[in-house]
Amino acid sequence: MGKSSKKNKVILAPPLPPELDDDEIVVSEDDFDFVKENPEHACNIARQDIKAFDKFVTRVADHDDEKVELLYEERERKRRAAAALKPRNDDELEVDPVDALPVKTLDGNVVYNRPAKKARSGDEANGVKSRSQDKGAGATQGSQKEPKGRSNKKEDSKLQNVQSPTEVPKENLHSVVLEEVKEELSSDELFEKKKAQLAELGMALLEDPESNIRSLNDLLILCNDMDQKIVQLGIMSLLAVFRDIIPSYRIRQLTEKELAVEVSKEVKKTRYYEYTLIRSYKAYLQKLIALEKQPYFYLVAVRCLCSLLDAAPHFNFRESLLASVVKNLSSSNDVARKLCCEAIRSLFRNEGKHRGEATIEAVRLIAAHVKLHDCQLHPDSIEVCLSLKFDEDLGKDDSKEDKLKPKKNKRYQNRDVTKPSEKKKIKKEMLSKARQEVRADLRAVSFTLDPKEKKMIQRETLAALFETYFRILKHSMNTSRYKTTSVFPGGSHPLLAPCLEGLGKFSHLIDLDFMSELIACLKKLSGYTDHQGEILPDNALSVSERLQCCIVAFKVWRSNLEALNVDLQDFFVQLYNLILQYRPDRDHGEVLADALKTLLWEGKQQDMLRAAAFIKRLATFALSFGSAEAISALITLKHLLQKNTKCRNMLENDAGGGSLSSLVAKYDPEAKDPYLSGALATVLWELSLLQKHYDPSVSGMASNVLSMANLNATQNPVQLSSANPLEAYKDLSMGRELSKPAGKVLTLKCKRKRRSKEFVALSPDVLRKADCTVGEDELREKLQSHFAVLRGISENERLRTELNHTLSSINMYKEYKKQKKQSKKSRIGRKKVTRA
Amino acid sequence: MAKKLGKKARKFANKHLQGGAKRSRKLRSQFNRRTRKDGKGREDGGRLDGDGDEEMRRSDPTVNTHDDVATLANSLEFPEDENEFDGDLSDSDGYLSEDPECPYYSDSEDGNVLKDSIVQDGLDGQNNDMNLAVKKQKKKLKKLLDKDPEFANFLGKWESELVSHESDEDSDEQDEMDSGDDGVDAGDKNPPSDKILTSKTISEWCQLVSKDPKAPALRNLLNAFRDACRFGLHSSSLSTQRLQSTEVFYQIITFILSEADNIFRSLLDIPDDDKGKLMNLRNGQKWQDVEPLIKSYLRNCLDLLSQLTDNQILTNVLTRLRASAVYFSAYPSTSRRLLKILIHFWASGDQSLSLTSFLMIREVVSLLPDCLDLCLTKGYNTYLSSSKLVDNRNIKNIDLFMNCLVELYSLDVQKSGERAATSVGQLSAILRQVSKSKEKEDLLKIDNWQYINCINLWVRFICVNYKDCHNVHSLLSSVAQIIRGVAYLLPGMRYLPLRLKLAQMLNELLNCNQMFFPVPSLIFGCLEFREIFQKEQTEKTNIHFSSLLKVPRNLLKSRDFQEQCILSAIEVLSAHFAQWSYHVAFPEVATIPLILLKRLHEQTTIDSLHRPLKRLIDQVSENRDFVQRKREVVSFSPNDLSSVESFLEDEKMSGNASFTQYYESVSKNRQSRGRKFV
Repeated sequence: MGKSSKKNKVILAPPLPPELDDDEIVVSEDDFDFVKENPEHACNIARQDIKAFDKFVTRVADHDDEKVELLYEERERKRRAAAALKPRNDDELEVDPVDALPVKTLDGNVVYNRPAKKARSGDEANGVKSRSQDKGAGATQGSQKEPKGRSNKKEDSKLQNVQSPTEVPKENLHSVVLEEVKEELSSDELFEKKKAQLAELGMALLEDPESNIRSLNDLLILCNDMDQKIVQLGIMSLLAVFRDIIPSYRIRQLTEKELAVEVSKEVKKTRYYEYTLIRSYKAYLQKLIALEKQPYFYLVAVRCLCSLLDAAPHFNFRESLLASVVKNLSSSNDVARKLCCEAIRSLFRNEGKHRGEATIEAVRLIAAHVKLHDCQLHPDSIEVCLSLKFDEDLGKDDSKEDKLKPKKNKRYQNRDVTKPSEKKKIKKEMLSKARQEVRADLRAVSFTLDPKEKKMIQRETLAALFETYFRILKHSMNTSRYKTTSVFPGGSHPLLAPCLEGLGKFSHLIDLDFMSELIACLKKLSGYTDHQGEILPDNALSVSERLQCCIVAFKVWRSNLEALNVDLQDFFVQLYNLILQYRPDRDHGEVLADALKTLLWEGKQQDMLRAAAFIKRLATFALSFGSAEAISALITLKHLLQKNTKCRNMLENDAGGGSLSSLVAKYDPEAKDPYLSGALATVLWELSLLQKHYDPSVSGMASNVLSMANLNATQNPVQLSSANPLEAYKDLSMGRELSKPAGKVLTLKCKRKRRSKEFVALSPDVLRKADCTVGEDELREKLQSHFAVLRGISENERLRTELNHTLSSINMYKEYKKQKKQSKKSRIGRKKVTRA
Repeated sequence: MAKKLGKKARKFANKHLQGGAKRSRKLRSQFNRRTRKDGKGREDGGRLDGDGDEEMRRSDPTVNTHDDVATLANSLEFPEDENEFDGDLSDSDGYLSEDPECPYYSDSEDGNVLKDSIVQDGLDGQNNDMNLAVKKQKKKLKKLLDKDPEFANFLGKWESELVSHESDEDSDEQDEMDSGDDGVDAGDKNPPSDKILTSKTISEWCQLVSKDPKAPALRNLLNAFRDACRFGLHSSSLSTQRLQSTEVFYQIITFILSEADNIFRSLLDIPDDDKGKLMNLRNGQKWQDVEPLIKSYLRNCLDLLSQLTDNQILTNVLTRLRASAVYFSAYPSTSRRLLKILIHFWASGDQSLSLTSFLMIREVVSLLPDCLDLCLTKGYNTYLSSSKLVDNRNIKNIDLFMNCLVELYSLDVQKSGERAATSVGQLSAILRQVSKSKEKEDLLKIDNWQYINCINLWVRFICVNYKDCHNVHSLLSSVAQIIRGVAYLLPGMRYLPLRLKLAQMLNELLNCNQMFFPVPSLIFGCLEFREIFQKEQTEKTNIHFSSLLKVPRNLLKSRDFQEQCILSAIEVLSAHFAQWSYHVAFPEVATIPLILLKRLHEQTTIDSLHRPLKRLIDQVSENRDFVQRKREVVSFSPNDLSSVESFLEDEKMSGNASFTQYYESVSKNRQSRGRKFV
């Protein structure tokens, strides 16, 4: 595998130093000295250069000028002299095929050896060869300006491939170096020293990036340290530096033409600065991407990537940044996932930073990611798309403009025809040309897109987005094989919920062509089957998800001006059944309220039978669930009654069974089909009970609805509130209620101040038990034993003190004897003294 | 006094009674009483044998599961006013001057004394050994003294030194403790008698007194009672030595306790508990005469109460003492002391003691309304601390305690209403705080027994007083909100027992105010069919929801849990249905639960559930059809409130409908089941 790809790389590398003529020479000389002085460091620098080679390949691509080439060739020779040290070092270590690469690289031929290098470098033919190959490579690779090309990505991955193996020997080298250093410095000191070095370099860079730009290299070297802490600190400080010094424009690759032109020193300096910056930036990114694979550095690397994406979405190498961030969108690590989501969201939100180009890239990447993983991702990875912003008039204006444009053109054409003046025409053309140029320049500078381009980008974004959404829908339809395998929240279809949400949100942007297919899809997902009365027991979707399908279908239908000729009747049936399947703790009440709002509350006049069926079912529903659900049901019910005045008969109890007896005479509360429920024949008795509801707002609403019975068809009762079911639900839901300030508990005033002696809480049974007393004998025994215990204790205590006393008295005897002896002695002594 | 005894006894026990399990059980509550104050409960608890544990735990509030709960408790508790003044009775030790003319029989029954000192007692063996040792050592000492007579002088000197040193050390304590005891009336000509009391003497005195309450022997008897009550407090004091036999002790105590009330009543000429009359008497001559006797009696009773440890004796003493509650009203601060002792018994005693002491408290408080505040605060705080841990054993006690507390709070609804409002306010503040953060640690603030029991207390209180005091309504709605909030914040199968408890509370609340609340929505989770992952269980794990808040994880999928779940759900559902079984909208109330029940009945694999489920379904369907039939013939509309109210009024009154009877049988079942568990 290696050979061909290696060859490729090899070819790319040689024409290294295109733009920075004089400076480059200086650098290489510097390097030379440096290398001489401390060969260990030189190795690293040299390695850095290898990376640089790769980068340069792209830049050189368009060079044609022989002269320039020659100049380069010479310069290269000098450079190579400096670089010659490096391969030697490599060989000393170990002959690694990848390490050996750069040597061969220069030739473009695998056959060439290091010694042959010098000879060949002068060789014109070789140079030409490599040049031509360069061109080819450049073409496939695509310039850095237009990074969307696929080859570029390939290139990146190749670069990574090269990079990662080279790291191994590098570390070996380091260890050798470290070993020497260790003799002098303890590891702690080393750490401190490196830390200080990092800080110094970082500060210098921040203070004056222009002149200290080369410190970036040093920082990068530090990032290859053995010490993980140092590496971490290194990439963090590089992050800070890059965030600060990355310019607000994208660094463009210089054309050969531009390179050919003599430029002032200032410009050269700037070019060198930019070149170094971009080279180190790339190296840094590669480092991050490599580190991201190591568990230890994972979080730090992701954090850096996200932060970079947030700070510089306009800058070069955005695509690799995006790729790794999108990949981590469904990371199992919560923190990393949050970071990535936030980064992508901010990308979507602040399109001004990158002219919307990053947006479409991100959405495409997400789409590819979803495809790759067969929809088994964390919901967050789709949820970020909800932050996308599209112009509301995107769809419509487009068509309008299209219509307008031809007209204009025609008019122009007509005008052109009528105005034969050639001069004027040319003048005009020139003028418009100039104008266009100016406009293009302006645009390039100011990051603003003209509406057309913007529209184009948005359209493509939408296409990618809906592709993802449809993929998820399709996937959810034919599943059940992933039932148990999913590790993400949200059951077997982790992506379905955010997908439906997104479809609902962007429903107005869906292409009409997709519509019927989408609706059919949703219908199937909502659990509708052609066989009435048969509910699939193993329907994989939850009630909430199915409700959401209904909502989305209606939203889609409605947002397309209801022009669509789609029969949505089935969704009503579905909702009718889902109401019964709702469980307060399992399903989301908000979704149900939303469904009521979308399907029933916002709808126009309903079919009478259907309306009656819903009215009855909603009333029954309100009796069994909490106040938030009840109020949303009642509001919907009231709305239906208002719209369908004939249904108001249900509020009254007609002795004759109602004037509007339908086909079905007897009401079936569990009916599957609203048309067959026979609801019109019933009376809304529920409302009389709901009037006693403990929640005043529910009972108020129930009375309000009941009052409709006394009004004639055109009148409506006093409006209690204008909230729709969803708002009402949210307002009464427990979470909201608890966040409301606590109502003051009123001080109680009672009729009767004091109660007489009757018992209120204790049952007479219990009280009777209290009166039975212990038998005489038992009492006697217990009292006696109590006494005995007390006596025993006091006796024991008495004896104990006595015993202690006696014992200590006996002990005193010894002391007494001692004293006696002493006194005797002293007496004797005294006697002796007196005798003496 | 209690302090003194407790300290001594504990010291003593710690020193010498490590192995004496039997003893320690006897002394247990002394320890406990003590540990309540110094909070070293665990130390003693470890030494107690198994069956002591429960009581121990209950009476010892320092055993905390975790600190959070402790702090919560503090936030829930009412602040207590600790300063107490006990001036009424303690100015004298209650020694009464005796009439020397009283008959006295010297020890003609020495044999008796000897005999009953052999009452089996763990200490006796030790005492005997020690007795021997003392004798031995004394002999040795004597020998030494004989050998060297000079030593006697030396020893004498040393002893006197020792005594003076000791007295220095103890003087503070002694002063404090004995100030009451030594305060014998200076004017009293007769010093306390130190004659040994004999059984014969006591019976003679008793006879004299029963014949004529005014007999001077009463004083002697009361003095004897005093000595008996303080027996063991000061081993060195004279009073102890007056009592030698258990028989005498028994005689005195029982006679005084059973007769004192009658005697005083006849002395004062008051036939029944009439406080006003007693107060009127207070200035009269009669009162002046009898007062010292009563004083002595009451005071000694208190001593006795704080000394006794056996629940049964205590119950007995309290029952006797309850008759004399009226006298306590004359001494408010003594009453406070009494109340404190009583509250302790109330909280820590077994059922009968707890109940008896509660009745006594109620008696005293209704006579002395000033003490109500003290009792409400103390009772509430004690309730909170004793309800920290609930298990199968103490659940009944807690229930009883709660009922008693409600009883107490219902005495003066005006006063207690304020307290209830404060407490409910605290509860809801905690709930709001928790709902804001939803941290796991914070959830523990509502996920504990204290919180739930506290809610339960107020639910019961509201239910009891709802009819008399319609303003309780505002309290009711906030309690209902708290209940809903707790259910909302603690979702999931694990909290099912808690949820069932909440549903029961709601049922209780709604039954009293006749409001509608969709209680079944709380327990729909139970009615979902769930797979049972069951390894063939050999032993049946006993799950008692009554003593659980959340189910241990390992039982979640067990068969027993499911069974319990559904049985409890049936109870809650039937309570809810029973409430509305006569309402015109009953068929609709039952619709959705019925669907669920039917599906569960089809799906469940637990055979034992089929029958109760089927029965409920049948009963509900029957009642539904019944209501439906009835309402087909009425002509009023749903908005005709009064007609809706009167629908099926007659049937409701008679209570013959099959569903009502079904519900009764269900609740009976539950009670019997509950009894079986405890």
